[in-house]
Amino acid sequence: MSTAKAKVAKAKTKKVLNVLITYCILIVVAFVFFFPCLWLILASFSKSGSIYSFDGFFPTEYGLNAFDALFNDTVMYNYPRWFFNTLFIAVMSCILGTVLTILTAYCMSRFRFKSRKAMMKTTLVLGMFPSFMGTIAVYIMMTQFNLINQHWGLILIYSAQAPMGYMVQKGFFDTVPYSIDEAARIDGASNMTVFFKIILPMSKPILVYTALTAFTWPWSDFILPKMLLIDKDLYTVAVGLMSLGETEFARFAAGSIFIAIPIIVLYFCLVKYMINGMAAGAVKE
Amino acid sequence: MNVATKSKNFFKSIPDRIKKLPKKFAAKFAGAKEIITQGNGRVSASMIVMGLGQLLYRQWAKGFMFLFIQAAFIVYAVLTGASDLFGFFTLGTSESDAWYGVKGDNSVVMLIMGILAILIIILYVVMYIANIKDVYRTQCAIDTLKTPIGFKKEVGALLDKSFHKTALALPVIGVCVFSILPIVFMILIAFTNYGGDVVPPALVDWVGLANFGKILSLGQFAPTFFKIFGWNMLWAVLATAINYFAGLGLALLLNKKCVKGKAIWRAFPILAYAIPGFITLLGFKFMFSYGGPINYYIQQAGGEAVGFLGLDAKWTARLIGLGVNAWISIPSTMLLATGILSNINTDLYEAARVDGASAWKQFVKITLPYVLFATTPVLISQFIGNFNNFGIFYFLRGGLYADGYFLASDTDLLINWLYNMSIDNNYYSIGAAISLVIFVITSAISLAVYVLSPSYKQEETFR
Repeated sequence: MSTAKAKVAKAKTKKVLNVLITYCILIVVAFVFFFPCLWLILASFSKSGSIYSFDGFFPTEYGLNAFDALFNDTVMYNYPRWFFNTLFIAVMSCILGTVLTILTAYCMSRFRFKSRKAMMKTTLVLGMFPSFMGTIAVYIMMTQFNLINQHWGLILIYSAQAPMGYMVQKGFFDTVPYSIDEAARIDGASNMTVFFKIILPMSKPILVYTALTAFTWPWSDFILPKMLLIDKDLYTVAVGLMSLGETEFARFAAGSIFIAIPIIVLYFCLVKYMINGMAAGAVKE
Repeated sequence: MNVATKSKNFFKSIPDRIKKLPKKFAAKFAGAKEIITQGNGRVSASMIVMGLGQLLYRQWAKGFMFLFIQAAFIVYAVLTGASDLFGFFTLGTSESDAWYGVKGDNSVVMLIMGILAILIIILYVVMYIANIKDVYRTQCAIDTLKTPIGFKKEVGALLDKSFHKTALALPVIGVCVFSILPIVFMILIAFTNYGGDVVPPALVDWVGLANFGKILSLGQFAPTFFKIFGWNMLWAVLATAINYFAGLGLALLLNKKCVKGKAIWRAFPILAYAIPGFITLLGFKFMFSYGGPINYYIQQAGGEAVGFLGLDAKWTARLIGLGVNAWISIPSTMLLATGILSNINTDLYEAARVDGASAWKQFVKITLPYVLFATTPVLISQFIGNFNNFGIFYFLRGGLYADGYFLASDTDLLINWLYNMSIDNNYYSIGAAISLVIFVITSAISLAVYVLSPSYKQEETFR
């Protein structure tokens, strides 16, 4: 009797210990991920701005100077302008890039044509090229097309390159049973109708995933805009923030927070779709 | 029989396809032969002037479309195309001379426009063949059915039977111009003497394999290459393993039944995931800088400021790089693993529990194989992504050159070295040659893994 009781008690303590350890790890993880963010937020509220006037992680004095400077002192660093430049580029590239990627992925998944496997292997192999080596060529081409120092040039590049990353989306469409298409085809629907009326409404998770990745890439890219944009007024936020020095640390932090917020909000609203989309795109049983 | 089943048999295995290759070629030639011998005068008319045969068949819209394509191509060829193509081979003949006011040729621009001209010619040939095939199809249709297919019906087919052609046209053109052309350009640059003193307005020339010889023979490149390559491989393996298993572990931890408020716990890594990468990297650089908070605490404790990312900091900088990379990448692996874990059949665990399997055994025998199997393609792309991870050390330690390295620091990956050489120091052709070598290595590894992985072999399971 007593041994059985001891066993139960032992199992219970083991379980409690298990829960305790789990929570300890979780707290550590949460701290590790949250602390740098908290540090940036605090830094943005520092009064002086330079990183050298901090007590370790914490500013010596708090104030709203950084935000004030960010939006009102626009002679040297025109942050509001940069922000809307970035927004414009990201939104346009997101729309165009998503359309092209989804179309490519759908065709690669559903149609069987002569050059299909060759195209799949080519894109896989070409995707491994160090991409910035190609940016020299892109730069020269843009000078030839007179698209240097223009936002549309960037949008063109981002959306034209987007279909290269169609693999996850193709994986998703592969998991949509083919019998659905066949049923619709028997009922007389054309391939275009099948795509727009049947497949697309079913593909919300992957649409969200594609749109989000197509949005965040231009939103945080720095190599291309740094290369193609010359006027400071045309800069995107990434390029602009990189031109800030250590003495402008508070302004950097404040600017970072403003550019991070839209993305964070988007992610939190759409995280459910993200998980489903990513998983469906990866799983191929 | 539907298209899918037919093509499934067709694409069943690669050896079969290779065996069929001679037959396929024979069939192609048979098709061309048939058109030449069987085609009537109108087919020949289309061979000479695109669209003429269609016009003779009174297919106005289509005929004028083809005619327009030909006219546009001729205009392009006369205006720039021919000289562009010629320039591709010569890379310019007249050097600029400010003294005599000669403008001169820009070799690099000529190379790119030459590649573009070749792309356009390929596109034109494709249209030309389509034009001949089309008029021959009309001839056959009239011979057998007495009526050609109407234009409206053909447009309808573009939205139905050949929907993929319509849908893929734009993406393919975009990818060709903005992804493939730059890569081709870069590959070709490896065979020129572009770089160093030889930058426009000086004329660039083809030099064959000389650059690859230089990499092997010149003392400055080879030692740096092998040193960086070793670290690059180590980095890619370590970073991929850390991110993968930590992400998986985190997902499993959050999947535990005893964890309450999963959404809140998950929010912290997602927060890290959502912050744009360059902000994170610059933030961490500030954190570890001489005047940064970590050194502040070291100094408060009586120590001396440590240059974590300074010139002598080899392994601390490398470890910080691994850590920062993990901070950025673990959340995405966690999200992916969360999604995949939710797809595992829970009956498997039930059965394992009944049989008395421990939690560890369940993980090793059920979870791990399933997740590994499902994520092989992702794992490959993560490995390649880490191998070519440009941002991490560009932001953390950009612009440093260490002793014993040629234009690189001891944390730099090959891609950073390439950037230093080609963008900062003008070694374009050598950089291109090295990147070609890297590319061959990485693509061989990943193509082999990909083709051998079950996800590729069993692509058709859902059909």
